[in-house]
Amino acid sequence: MVEKLKYLLAYAATNLVRAGWGGLASIASIAVSFVIIGMFVLLIQHINALVAQWQEQFQVSVFLDDQITPLQIDMLKRRIENEAAVKSFTFTSKEEALTNFRRELKGQESLLEGLGDNPLPASFQLKIREGYQSSEALKTLSAYLSRLEGVEEIQYGQDWVERMSQAVRIIKLLGAIIGSVLTLGSAMIVSNTIRLAVYARAQEIEIMRLVGATKAYIRAPFLVEGMLQGGLGAALALGALFAAYRFVAPTFTVTSPLFLRTTGQGFMESSIMVGLVVGGAAIGALGSAMAVSRFLKT
Amino acid sequence: MIQMFHVYKTFGKDLEALVDVDLHIHKGEMVFLAGANGAGKSTLLRLIFCDELPTSGQILVNGRNLVRMKSREVPYLRRTLGIVFQDFKLLRDRTVEDNLTLVAKVVGMTALDAKRKVAQLLTLVGLSHKAQMAPYKLSSGEQQRVAMARALMNNPAILLADEPTGNLDAELATDVLRLLFEINAQGTTILVATHDLKLAEEAGCRTVFLKQGRIVGEWQQANRLTGWVQPQLPE
Repeated sequence: MVEKLKYLLAYAATNLVRAGWGGLASIASIAVSFVIIGMFVLLIQHINALVAQWQEQFQVSVFLDDQITPLQIDMLKRRIENEAAVKSFTFTSKEEALTNFRRELKGQESLLEGLGDNPLPASFQLKIREGYQSSEALKTLSAYLSRLEGVEEIQYGQDWVERMSQAVRIIKLLGAIIGSVLTLGSAMIVSNTIRLAVYARAQEIEIMRLVGATKAYIRAPFLVEGMLQGGLGAALALGALFAAYRFVAPTFTVTSPLFLRTTGQGFMESSIMVGLVVGGAAIGALGSAMAVSRFLKT
Repeated sequence: MIQMFHVYKTFGKDLEALVDVDLHIHKGEMVFLAGANGAGKSTLLRLIFCDELPTSGQILVNGRNLVRMKSREVPYLRRTLGIVFQDFKLLRDRTVEDNLTLVAKVVGMTALDAKRKVAQLLTLVGLSHKAQMAPYKLSSGEQQRVAMARALMNNPAILLADEPTGNLDAELATDVLRLLFEINAQGTTILVATHDLKLAEEAGCRTVFLKQGRIVGEWQQANRLTGWVQPQLPE
């Protein structure tokens, strides 16, 4: 078994070397396909990271009536604590609100002097669980909270939330469509490239067939070769993307700060990289098997 | 060794390549199959090595019924055959030795046995000194001899040769013929398809004539001393 595997790998590698420029060209065109897929994966990853970041920062402000009593505040705290949508919350008293505001106005505190009484309300800042960040869920939550005693106003950037969640929906849909088209297209390019490589060896297949090689015997080295080509192509693409990501992309941060700075994302997750290489190998093997079958009538 | 009973082969709807062919070739015989291009010689050979199935009729090769044979058994039949093609079908990107070794690997010979066999056959065809050369650097005659050596790698019971001299001049053709006799003398049954009547005549072997897919006549084996037993040519 081990001997056979060793033979197959050696044979496939020899054939790749024998194919010379042709072999390199097919690996390169496979790599190009994977560069495109890889870029898409990176883009999606960054968008996801951005959305996650936004979700992390997102909060709902519950402003309280100036006449609210400490007892009512305690009751509100308990209500909020028991609310499933709320991940965590903080309370800001009127005084704290003013202190914070002062801090933000650093250097221009004089603006506050004419105010007399502290006009700022006490408030709760709620962090919302991921599943409850849709505009519908927020509307429900806000309606519930605004009915509670002592609550004056709820703010969470209603318009913005609506637009953002719509944008996320569209991006996800587009991502799925573009992703499927790209994957399908690349799969076709990869399997066609390998098919061409197999066609170039039609005579070898014919000879093997005529001297009594079984189908499995003929197919095996081509499968391994297809796997090697597909896998190497994908690995090469990842290498190129990684290099670009590390050395070239940072020089473009001015034009694309959104994707490279704000998310602080690393390169692709290793599971995705492994997936791409394995996918490349699988498509390679499949394309190869299909191509060889054409020559294997009996 | 090879028996064909009422074999028909039709391509598409009405292209009749072989019509009612009855042919019996005995063990150890060397037979020529003569006819013009398109007479059905190659089709007949292809039926024998199972590259095609007959439209009707029965074919027995080495005791196996090809019509009933399962497709997974075909490779094992082919291992008992040696096939020589007019266009040699040698792999350009391998040495002569590697071309021969390919067969050894397919039939599962050990590396040592393969090496011995390659050496023996290259000696037989007189090309030991060119084992490491690429086939396309050899002359046509030499390439044909490599192709014959390859066909013999698996010690075939039957050797099928399709126009083995088609690309060669008369002198080289005689060389190939001599080689075929030598192989036949060691017990291999041989069927040679050729359009070259002179070659068949020179060989003095039993010769079956094909015309438009039908067997139209036959020369019996010549008596080397008295000439042809039935020397008249069909039509």
